[in-house]
Amino acid sequence: MVIVSEYNLPDIHLLNQQSNKFLLWIPDKQYIVLGASNKADDSVVESLVLRDNISVLKRRTGGQTVMLTPNNLIISAVITDKNVMKPKDLFNKFNNHIIAAIEKDHFVRFRTRGISDIALGEKKIMGSSMYRGKGMLFYHAVLNFDEPATTFQKYLKHPKNEPDYRKGRSHHEFVTSLKETGYTKSIFHLKNEINDSLEKMIPSCKIMDEAM
Amino acid sequence: MRYIFNFPDIGEGLEEGTILEWYVKKGQEVKTGDNLVQMETDKVVADIPSPKDGTIVALFGEVGEVAIVGEPLVEIEIEGVHGEDAQEEAKKEYAPEPEEEDFEEEEAAAVVGTMETAGKGAVMAASDEGSEKEPEKEAKPERKALATPVARAMAKEMDIDINEVKGTGPSGRVTKADIENFKPAKKGKVKKHEIPTDEFTYEPLSQIRKTISRNMLNSKQSAAHMTVFEEVEISELINIRSRYKTSFADEDVKLTYLPFIVKAVVHALKHHRQINSQMDLENDRMIFNNRYNIGIAVDTAEGLVVPVIKDADQLSIKEIAQQITELADKANSRKLSMDDMKGGTFTITNYGSIGGIFATPVINYPQAGILGVGRIVKKPIIKDDAVVPGNVLALSLSVDHRIVDGGEASRFVNKIMEYLSDPIALIMD
Repeated sequence: MVIVSEYNLPDIHLLNQQSNKFLLWIPDKQYIVLGASNKADDSVVESLVLRDNISVLKRRTGGQTVMLTPNNLIISAVITDKNVMKPKDLFNKFNNHIIAAIEKDHFVRFRTRGISDIALGEKKIMGSSMYRGKGMLFYHAVLNFDEPATTFQKYLKHPKNEPDYRKGRSHHEFVTSLKETGYTKSIFHLKNEINDSLEKMIPSCKIMDEAM
Repeated sequence: MRYIFNFPDIGEGLEEGTILEWYVKKGQEVKTGDNLVQMETDKVVADIPSPKDGTIVALFGEVGEVAIVGEPLVEIEIEGVHGEDAQEEAKKEYAPEPEEEDFEEEEAAAVVGTMETAGKGAVMAASDEGSEKEPEKEAKPERKALATPVARAMAKEMDIDINEVKGTGPSGRVTKADIENFKPAKKGKVKKHEIPTDEFTYEPLSQIRKTISRNMLNSKQSAAHMTVFEEVEISELINIRSRYKTSFADEDVKLTYLPFIVKAVVHALKHHRQINSQMDLENDRMIFNNRYNIGIAVDTAEGLVVPVIKDADQLSIKEIAQQITELADKANSRKLSMDDMKGGTFTITNYGSIGGIFATPVINYPQAGILGVGRIVKKPIIKDDAVVPGNVLALSLSVDHRIVDGGEASRFVNKIMEYLSDPIALIMD
């Protein structure tokens, strides 16, 4: 049986912050993170997850189960402003800044699909979700920089809910990576670009120390 | 006062959410801002705080159940608010608050978007216990005059409201003489127009209206609309329908013309796959639908919704009729799920049941076409060189001209007309 652990990845500390902060980080190994209402039985391919000893965690935000790998860039943020905007508007705002950072060094045009995905045409490169508590909002996004879609196909079952544009496609058919779209810069370069872009988005935002 | 707190839109524009955890239970006291429940929509998990101080009277829904935006979530007894105070409290929900108050609510509530509160129904109670009844308006008794037929005809001729005439006949019956002697009460020399004190009335947009607005605009901005109009004589269809209507009714199936039209559309789509498709410009390709999922536009009190009959090509006319009834019932009782409305490949809008003849329907984007069905009109037609009475159904087909050429659209309508004028072909094909 798959054991689901409490979420303990670097961005967990954001939940205790009293002011706007964000964290860009790259996972140290492969993790599977269930959405707030997901169950491991419905979400992961148990035999392979157990065989390959992959950690399964449960996060606080909504959305479906995701897989984090060292080829992903994770964007996490906490917004504590009293007048935080609507989740959908905030998703769009984050997406616009992330897309702007990518497109600085890329020739293709990305856009928001579904509620908060970033996609090239019909293929997704980033998904995100939120948790909204009293006076704070926690944002979490996984940008697939260079992980082959076959990895997700291998360990994750087809999600219970999907955006309209997915149209029942498997992970393999639905997901792509930024590298596959022709992006030539490194993940560290992109991290810096997104960092600069997000600093402009939330002026009072402080970057967290990744080493904590 | 009992206060019903409805599930607010938590800012994604979605119409439903799942209850993840109740933080309160029945009988528990809560303060404004205390978390009531944790809800999950597609992408957001949100703690929903209490908008009022009070005691929880009822929780609507169990963990894991789906709640609909705008439907009751929690019922709260607000202590010390009764009678006129309760009505004042209820009115407050609609009155725009000063900016500072808005800010306070935002902070305390931590919920954005349409915070639907009980509003007009703020004093409504799930039970009568402890609730203050709104004083009933004093009803003015309506007087219906007894009158002779001659007196009635005279009153009508002379533009006299017979109910205002005092009758002198048996049992107060108004007679011819009463009408002749009637002098209308003077209502003042100058007719006074009542001018409203406020020039406008502002009401918040409902979730459904916002969705309709977004979808309609998106369609008009994204597709190249073109509409073809046609008329088809359907006497044969009328005969068949009336022949089977009663036996269907015995099985609780309401047989209208719509199931035949759905079937005709599906058959025609099989001959014209371009109209059961959508354009994927980003990938320079067409997407042809292999399924025939027909959306039916339903006019509800809240606005237009389009539930979908899935795989209509696999269904008999009776099964389509059953599904139409079920979906229309669900639409009118606001019980349609997202699944009921997803996956349409072509849409039919039957405005004729209300009264229109022709229209220019707006495509349910990204679909390629929508068929408008008008009223059936009895009018003269030419048959075998003779003018005979006919039953004529008006059809208006809008297509996305980027995908469908004019010839293709006309051929598609012709195909539908073939099936509707010769409904046996619907079974034979």
